Amino acid sequence: MVAIQSRRRIDPDPGFVRSFAERAQDLPGAASPLLRRLRAERLERFMELGVPTRRDEAWRFSDVARHANRPAGPAAPVELALERILPHLLGGPKARRLVFVNGRLQPQWSHVGGLPEGAQVESLARAAEARPEAVAAALAGPDGGRSFTALNAAFSDCGAWVEIGPGVELADPLQLLFVTVGDVAPGMIHPRVRIRLGDGAALELIESHVGLGPGPVLTNLVLETELGTGARLTHDRLQTMAAEATSIGRIEARLAAEARYRQTTVVAGGALVRNESEIRIQGSGVECLLAGVAMPLGREQVDTLVRMHHEAPCSHSDQSFRSIVDERAHSAFAGKILVHPGAQGTNAYQKSDNLLLSEEGEVDTKPELEIYADDVKCSHGATCGDLDPAALFYLRARGLAPEAARALLTWAFAAELVERLAEPTVRQAARRALAARLPSGAVPLEEAA
Amino acid sequence: MLEIADLQVSVAGKPILKGLSLRVGPGEVHAVMGPNGSGKSTLAHVLAGRDGYEVTGGTVRLDGEDLLALEPEERARAGVFLAMQYPVEIPGVANMYFLRQAINAIRKAREQPEVPAAEFMRRVREQARLLGIGEELLKRDLNAGFSGGEKKRNEILQMAMLEPRLAILDETDSGLDIDALKTVADGVNRLRRPDRAFLVITHYQRLLDYIVPDVVHVLADGQIRRSGGPELARALEEQGYEGVLGARLAA
Repeated sequence: MVAIQSRRRIDPDPGFVRSFAERAQDLPGAASPLLRRLRAERLERFMELGVPTRRDEAWRFSDVARHANRPAGPAAPVELALERILPHLLGGPKARRLVFVNGRLQPQWSHVGGLPEGAQVESLARAAEARPEAVAAALAGPDGGRSFTALNAAFSDCGAWVEIGPGVELADPLQLLFVTVGDVAPGMIHPRVRIRLGDGAALELIESHVGLGPGPVLTNLVLETELGTGARLTHDRLQTMAAEATSIGRIEARLAAEARYRQTTVVAGGALVRNESEIRIQGSGVECLLAGVAMPLGREQVDTLVRMHHEAPCSHSDQSFRSIVDERAHSAFAGKILVHPGAQGTNAYQKSDNLLLSEEGEVDTKPELEIYADDVKCSHGATCGDLDPAALFYLRARGLAPEAARALLTWAFAAELVERLAEPTVRQAARRALAARLPSGAVPLEEAA
Repeated sequence: MLEIADLQVSVAGKPILKGLSLRVGPGEVHAVMGPNGSGKSTLAHVLAGRDGYEVTGGTVRLDGEDLLALEPEERARAGVFLAMQYPVEIPGVANMYFLRQAINAIRKAREQPEVPAAEFMRRVREQARLLGIGEELLKRDLNAGFSGGEKKRNEILQMAMLEPRLAILDETDSGLDIDALKTVADGVNRLRRPDRAFLVITHYQRLLDYIVPDVVHVLADGQIRRSGGPELARALEEQGYEGVLGARLAA
């Protein structure tokens, strides 16, 4: 196998094939021969592609095989008490919601009814049952040689199918909550989400991932979204995975003219959290704002990859990512702005700022520009450093203990981007999750009110 | 109350203060004037405990306690307040949240209970009104995007709220127009009390028209060269540092 020779890929664990054989009959759309065939074919594709190593340029900062290439069955079914779920139900009392625990829909906490005409939110299972051809078409989409996209298509065991028709604006947020409960035996889930907004449609999406209990769990998500002309998608993401959990998430967005896409991600927990966003701006007047805060601790790793394609003239994109790295944690950011030929008048910015609080921590940042048009404004920048000594002195000179001053400044560094989360309940939850990770725990939460 | 004796300080191996001595009694306002590079800001920073200054000799005592042995936060809790020449902008930290943290840190060190939120807000609003600080500024992040004048007013607001024993003003007049200068000076004058001392560090006499000092010191080449009453400041204004000290000393 070529992949093996170059060592850019290694063979997947045979456990994936075993697990697939066990589960194929229960996966969404199993009644459809088309879907069954397609899944089997996607699994073969995954086995052929192999699992990337650090020699694969897209994975140079993370040893994903160590985290994800191990035999894993389906995450075990768990009954969770309401009080364990309650703190993670975000978006307010009127929010629509699909809640999955270890990849299984929890109807008692899910509610997607009463939507305006033209708007439809379904679980993946229901969509696969009702319209197997459409789901198959989505799963059959090109994987670009990405192993985990193929793996997701093979297993896609949970997720959502969202269709908001032209001109329909949802007043209340939609939360997709993926809870994983680690067990002794490694488990995995493969959420698949498809969101289509018609011209002028609007949706506020909350995507949250919560890890409960120890034990290794793999979450391998693919979220595809398509925004019509003038459509607006606000996408708040909160990832609080358990210490041994691995999350690989890929977001693909296609934006038509005048569309607005705002994505804000907060990562607070997970052995490896890999977030990919590939955005294609296909019309003029688009505004695309991506922001993210990550705060890995211990030996945790956060790896963010962004591909921002400007394929049409006169659109605006902005990426702002921050990480706070303490102990032996590792943060990596690789972002690329690609201005395609003809995309004149593009405004594209990218910034990666990193706070490195320990000697043993590691920060890698790789901002890139690839520009094939001459009339554009693009910039990128990266910083990495410790807290500002002048600011520390200022706070101490007012009586704050050094630990409190450090915590406050660390908090401030994160807080600016946390404020970009659109939904107040998500902001609050993100603040709580980050504050719990501050060095001294001196938590300025009251200002959140 | 504040006793500085033969203080010698180097920055990066270069002597800046070369045997500075000064005594400030309770209730007194002392001005320290001097040409650029004379060591005025070094004095302010050393008193507040900033890093990067090496004390090579001498002592500083506040109410008999060795100030130089204390960390910056311990000095603040002992009652030292430095109104900075360049207050740091800290986006992400709310102005009021910070101020309350500071007050409570100091109160805790003094074994006093935390200030109740309502009383805190009432006092802040009252002080802010006196200093011409709008409600909007209180709600902003600490000094973030503040104009020069707004930063200086915010420093005086902090000073008023933290109720120091020894207040040091480091070039608080720099960058202020005449109205702001007057407001800031009024703010300081309101805080004058029999048990509180002020050290006003300034390059110009202008501020001293409004904050009338008990004693004026002229600092040049790392030492106090001349001390006198308010008339010394006026003499400096008229004759310049060279005129008062002679060209050699003023250099």
